[in-house]
Amino acid sequence: MWAYFKWEFKQFFTNKKNIAVYVILLFLGLYFVLKVAPSYEPIEKVDVAEMEARFTTRDDFIKSVEGKDNIHPSVAFALAVFPQWNEYDRARIDAINEKDYLKYAEATAGWYLYSDQLTVNGDSFFYNPLYYTYGNNYAHADGHYGYGYTASRFTGYVEGSSELSMDLFEERTALQTLQRMLNDYLPIVLFISCILLSVDIVLKDRRNPSLLKGFPISDWKKLLMKGLVAFVGSILSFVPLYVVLIAIGLQNGFGDFSLPVPFYSYIEQNFTNMTMSTFLLKNILFIGVWFLFLIAIILFLSIIVKAEFANLFVSFIIIAAEWFYFERVMGAYSDIERYPTSYVQVGQVISGYRNFVYQSPDLTYQHGLTIIGCCTLFLVILTLIVSKFKRFKLIA
Amino acid sequence: MRSMLKTLFIIERTDKKNIFACLIVALSIIGMVVYANATELGNPIKEKSIESLPAKVAMNKFQIVDASEYGDGSDIYKNIVKQYYTYPKQGMALKTEQPELFIETAIELTELRKQAFEMDDYDLVAVNLPSKIENEMDSYYYQYLKENDLVLSFGSLSFYPFLAFLFSIVGSVWFVLICIYASNIMIDDFRHTSLIKGYPIAFTKYVLAKCMTSMGIVFIFIIELIVCSLPLIYFKGLGQASYPVAVFNGEVTIYPIYKYIAVSIVYMICLAVFAILLSVILNVLLRNVYLTLFVQIILVVIPILFPSLIKLLPFNPFNYVNFPSVLNGDTLNLETPVALNSNAGLVYLCISIVLLMAVIKWFLSTGKLQKI
Amino acid sequence: MLELKKIRVQFGDKQVLKDISIKFQPGEIIGLVAPNGTGKSTLMNVIMNYLSPNQGQVILNHELQYSSKANEVKIHQGVSMMPDQSDLYNHVSGKNHLKIYQAMWNSNPKLIEDTIVQLGMESYVKKKTGTYSLGMRQRLCFAMQIVSDTQVMLMDEVMNGLDPTHVELISQILLQKKAEGKTIIIASHLLENLEQYADRIFFMKTGELKLVDELVPGFTDNKVTTVRVSNFSQEHLEVFKKQFSGLHVQTLPSGKTLIDVSKQDTETLGSITQYLIAQQLTDFSFGKLTLNDLYSMEYQQK
Repeated sequence: MWAYFKWEFKQFFTNKKNIAVYVILLFLGLYFVLKVAPSYEPIEKVDVAEMEARFTTRDDFIKSVEGKDNIHPSVAFALAVFPQWNEYDRARIDAINEKDYLKYAEATAGWYLYSDQLTVNGDSFFYNPLYYTYGNNYAHADGHYGYGYTASRFTGYVEGSSELSMDLFEERTALQTLQRMLNDYLPIVLFISCILLSVDIVLKDRRNPSLLKGFPISDWKKLLMKGLVAFVGSILSFVPLYVVLIAIGLQNGFGDFSLPVPFYSYIEQNFTNMTMSTFLLKNILFIGVWFLFLIAIILFLSIIVKAEFANLFVSFIIIAAEWFYFERVMGAYSDIERYPTSYVQVGQVISGYRNFVYQSPDLTYQHGLTIIGCCTLFLVILTLIVSKFKRFKLIA
Repeated sequence: MRSMLKTLFIIERTDKKNIFACLIVALSIIGMVVYANATELGNPIKEKSIESLPAKVAMNKFQIVDASEYGDGSDIYKNIVKQYYTYPKQGMALKTEQPELFIETAIELTELRKQAFEMDDYDLVAVNLPSKIENEMDSYYYQYLKENDLVLSFGSLSFYPFLAFLFSIVGSVWFVLICIYASNIMIDDFRHTSLIKGYPIAFTKYVLAKCMTSMGIVFIFIIELIVCSLPLIYFKGLGQASYPVAVFNGEVTIYPIYKYIAVSIVYMICLAVFAILLSVILNVLLRNVYLTLFVQIILVVIPILFPSLIKLLPFNPFNYVNFPSVLNGDTLNLETPVALNSNAGLVYLCISIVLLMAVIKWFLSTGKLQKI
Repeated sequence: MLELKKIRVQFGDKQVLKDISIKFQPGEIIGLVAPNGTGKSTLMNVIMNYLSPNQGQVILNHELQYSSKANEVKIHQGVSMMPDQSDLYNHVSGKNHLKIYQAMWNSNPKLIEDTIVQLGMESYVKKKTGTYSLGMRQRLCFAMQIVSDTQVMLMDEVMNGLDPTHVELISQILLQKKAEGKTIIIASHLLENLEQYADRIFFMKTGELKLVDELVPGFTDNKVTTVRVSNFSQEHLEVFKKQFSGLHVQTLPSGKTLIDVSKQDTETLGSITQYLIAQQLTDFSFGKLTLNDLYSMEYQQK
């Protein structure tokens, strides 16, 4: 069995297509380092000019209406809330000027919490205008999420012991970049690589049937070994990622594993922090389970349909399915949390963002792991049963 | 040649891949029909009701001042305030089903936006408003409706508008789909060399027959697109084939729906021929399905990753593979804006096809199929 | 008529075909015999123009040469090579394969049914070839070539994977095609079978074609020419050679000893028999040289 593993392993890494997949991943990584990462513009950035403008406007307003009688209720409301708001802004500006990052983090956390409280249920104020892009119907909700997220993050910086910096505040360090990528399309890219790497792992044998048919090892074990090789190969698609991480780390610092990663709980409607290491471990585990799921699909299809085309098609549908049915807040009236395809955005599921956009309490990390895991197990058992049939031939 | 086509027909008609592909195309279209029907796609009441929010946000970027004509607010501020107050009018027109009023307000909005583009501090609110080209297309569309006294439909998409919508969706991924479909066009033959090499037919003719067979299946796909949308006639009616669609071909113009569909089909056919020929060349060169596919996709992705290349090489046929976006004038919104002409795109594609054919002809007269 | 003119093929320093010139006539079955890797397939590939020779021409019917793509098509109309069984389309039925060949060469459609019946393929010909056994595939490949009905047919290892019944069946069809005036060139290792129907048999050695009749004059005559003895020990052989000093005696790597008696009278034959019996070497026979013997002599001699 070990010999067969080695044989498959060698086949896997001498396959031109697989080498091409790794090369393309590396190319994408370089593109990311050179082009995407430098142009990253966070919405919640550290912008002293913006803070000062805000501060002065409000300060002028307070001064102009203070002491007047007979004021409009909305002005009275503004008078009531502006001083506290300005206090936070003053503290942030001072902290930046003094380069006292801890003080800045503290004031910023307060500022975001306070702003969110004022904005979320009223229509007097708005979140950062960058949320309100043309065509975004959920800008207000996005703003609420963004403010809560940022507040939680800065609270984490205050409570934690990480070395603070501007790059850290704007989530530009290597680990934070990875975290952002995991919340973005990175899982999809990894899944597609996994599909491309494993798509022909069974069916390639049809090209040299007489050579391979006779190996003294049962079909079931062959399939198992093939799955294992595909899994190892897929895990190795992380390697180009390290290159990206190192390149970004050298430019913007690496960050550390105890950094806070905010996590949204739909039930409590608030953010709590987990550490970066927890977040990454959870992601690796979930992505690993997804790899197994995709490989199980491919193995099963390979012995049933016996066409690479079908492998590609079905597994891509699994990846893309959510895109077809996704709609904001649909979790409130449909049970999308039962479909494994709703969990394809691994990072967003773990950070609770999917939970938030779907407005579904059950779309959680644990639930996802259970569903994907069960599906994988089910497919593996089916594959086992089929391969134990007497009529079954792995290589026709 | 006829016997070759007959042979290929015998081989292709039982190929699982073809049957599978035709089924998938049919199923996805029916899926889209059901989706369009269920979600009231294209219903303006649903789609226009939330458009006013970004304008409100834009308004909030300014201090509240006197926005009347001679007030002390800046021009852009006054403009946005006017825009903001046009929305409720539009909403009323929708709710009370008054198409004339709706068109009126829509034109008013596009005019206001047009003025805004020229004003100082426009950058401040740019993200909250539609882009210049989007606005211009809207403007042309509503003007056309007004001038020709066409009735705006308040319902969701009927058959013809749905077809236009369908072609714009399918068109954006068409080239990649055909690349995937055709990526093994010659690879498969490498496994049957002893049959193919002996055929009493010139190899170039063989390749031609092969491409024609693939094109036959592409035509089946296109026919499926239309046939599978037919159920919508039952649900939503036929709609007007002459209803206008605003398109960009160097400048904004109006196409009737049937013309839009016709242009789409011509584009799809050209793209399919291009994809098939490219697959032939890459198959012979690389001898691997996936490498062929990767190279094709990289060629498609490069202009997307490096938009400045589009301006540098406007004749690159890969700029036009997403033709609905070209027809939408999307390239004007890039960092390096460039006006791609959809008609010129067709010409470039045809030139590329001729070049590819010449390369294939030259290539196949020097080398032959070798077993892999 | 197919003519090869001074065909030379060279791979690097190695000359695979050395200026081969030969004519193949209609109504003739040609056998090609040689161990693997001596240039049989190369020769066939040259005839089909899958491989361009370094020098020389292939001429069909005195006029057609591989001088242009159009001519290649014309020659392929008249010359075909049997397909490899690994090249069949697994998702297409046997019958459709035959239809393809019939359509491509535009031959008589009736040939399809006739060939199916002749080769006993009725029971499975409608199934996809993916389900066929080795022998079934081989028969299908043969049938395909028969259906193409070309003037010249090249067959490489046509009898591979066939049982004796089918070997016989195919031999019959070959004879029938010969009667129809086809030129059939066969490379085979079933030497005894080849002897049955081939009009001319060539050995390929060091890049040349050698007619067996020239290697061994009178090979095809019906006359006793050889005594074949099994288990002739070295000592006995020495004694025998001394006693019959005029005879050509040869021991093959296969263990058989051949005594050339083609020019001997019956008296000598009698005394050879007596001697052998006296030495208790009872396993001997009179007859002619077989192709197997010749093969052993040509290719297995150290």
